[in-house]
Amino acid sequence: MSRLPFLFIISGMAGFALFHAASLLSLSGWLGDDMRGPAGWFHAHLFVLGWATMLAMGAVYQLISVILQSDLYSERLGYVHYAVFTLGLAGLLFGFVRGEIYWIGAFAATAFAGILLFAWNMAATLVRASRWDAITVSAAAAVLYLVLTGLIGMAMGVNFATGWWNDLHDRLFGAHIWLGTVGWFGLLITGFSYKLLPMFYLAHHYPTSLRKAVTVLWNAGVIAGAASFLSGGGKWSVLPALLLIAAAVVLYNAHVVQIRKHRSKRSPGAGIKWSVYGNFAFGAAAVAMSACALWDPNFLSRTKSVTPAVWFYLAGWVSFTMLCYLSKIVPFLWWTRKYGNRAGEPGTPVMSDLLDDRKVNAGLAAIAVCTLLPLSGLMAGSPPIVAAGGTACSFFSVAYMMLIARVFSR
Amino acid sequence: MELREETVRKMLRQVYDPELGVNIVDLGLVYDIRVEPDRVFVRMTLTTPGCPMHDTIAGGVRRALTHHAAGRKIEVDVVWEPRWSPEMMTQEAKEQLGFF
Repeated sequence: MSRLPFLFIISGMAGFALFHAASLLSLSGWLGDDMRGPAGWFHAHLFVLGWATMLAMGAVYQLISVILQSDLYSERLGYVHYAVFTLGLAGLLFGFVRGEIYWIGAFAATAFAGILLFAWNMAATLVRASRWDAITVSAAAAVLYLVLTGLIGMAMGVNFATGWWNDLHDRLFGAHIWLGTVGWFGLLITGFSYKLLPMFYLAHHYPTSLRKAVTVLWNAGVIAGAASFLSGGGKWSVLPALLLIAAAVVLYNAHVVQIRKHRSKRSPGAGIKWSVYGNFAFGAAAVAMSACALWDPNFLSRTKSVTPAVWFYLAGWVSFTMLCYLSKIVPFLWWTRKYGNRAGEPGTPVMSDLLDDRKVNAGLAAIAVCTLLPLSGLMAGSPPIVAAGGTACSFFSVAYMMLIARVFSR
Repeated sequence: MELREETVRKMLRQVYDPELGVNIVDLGLVYDIRVEPDRVFVRMTLTTPGCPMHDTIAGGVRRALTHHAAGRKIEVDVVWEPRWSPEMMTQEAKEQLGFF
């Protein structure tokens, strides 16, 4: 069995633990600070690249053959990708800590080179895909948006060093965030869930037409948002993008309900169950945010509304969904490695023997509640609530990750 | 040594789908078993096309049968038609999964 997914997933888990350890040290103070300084950059990139992107890449390597029903183009290229990306990320984070512009630039370029290697491997694999559908299109688009995110990040770095396009910096910043969060993560999660949710629910004979609508709307929203930021259009041009994404999220939730309705298995496991709750919460938040923005478009330009929204999206949906799926990914990986060649022998454990689903349920419930605490603190403009909530969130998150990591000892 | 289809089916009950925790016979994944003088042939499917457990479960079938095959070659043919559906499960499997 390939070690490639292991490398990324274990590195992602380490990134997650490091992020929360760093957050605990600062009592989540960085969350309320101006994100556009070295401390904010460090935490944001550790979270987004060191945890979420690292884990997402590992999940892609593990699942790509299942999703596309064709083999990965090159496993060797995957190992080179890992080495380059991890080196770049480590140096980038160190550069943020030290505030060294040229160090940041050099290692950002290295991390970006890693992303390009990943994109090349995925593009070559996708070209060989047996069919193009909502899953394939979502995966392809997600990788494209990841590359664009990195490219814009590089442009921002060049500007920091040279000041060549200071007037464009804010536009680049908005597009960088939008493409990375909504484009890369959003399409990867929704696209892969079209395969994974029916698998875990043992769902059959469910309609699939909504997937196409979700894919079209989500891509339209990503492109509209990026175009809006890059053109400096302001709140009125961002609003259509937000509405497109909100519509996509509502339809996505409707599709999730369709899958659940056609399930053959009462419980898909606590992780999958909580991921669905997370989808519903995200849908409700997207609708609420759209309503607020329609009522008062200035809502979209206030830090007090945008920062909690970004936190809710990244921590409350993207990261939470990944933690949920981790309860399936890690036992699968470890079981296959340790017990796969004992399948068929009496007494061979099954995956549920490796991880207690009741503990997964408790852990994810605690994280879900605690994720809302710093959110409420940000919305109320209360640093003590942010600190307390963020600390609780980090504590339970680390505890959950330790529960997952214990699978490797089974 | 005589080996019957029922015996093979019984041995295959020790091969589990590791995610579902149900054996492949009760899941209804085993479509055909043929015991011939020089080989044992099993035609089966999996619950999901492109299932990541493809090689593991097929290997499990071979492992479960090898010691009892008396030198016969074990052939496992994983097919995708007819498509598996939950109705193919036994009542025991349905109860275990909380089927509804």
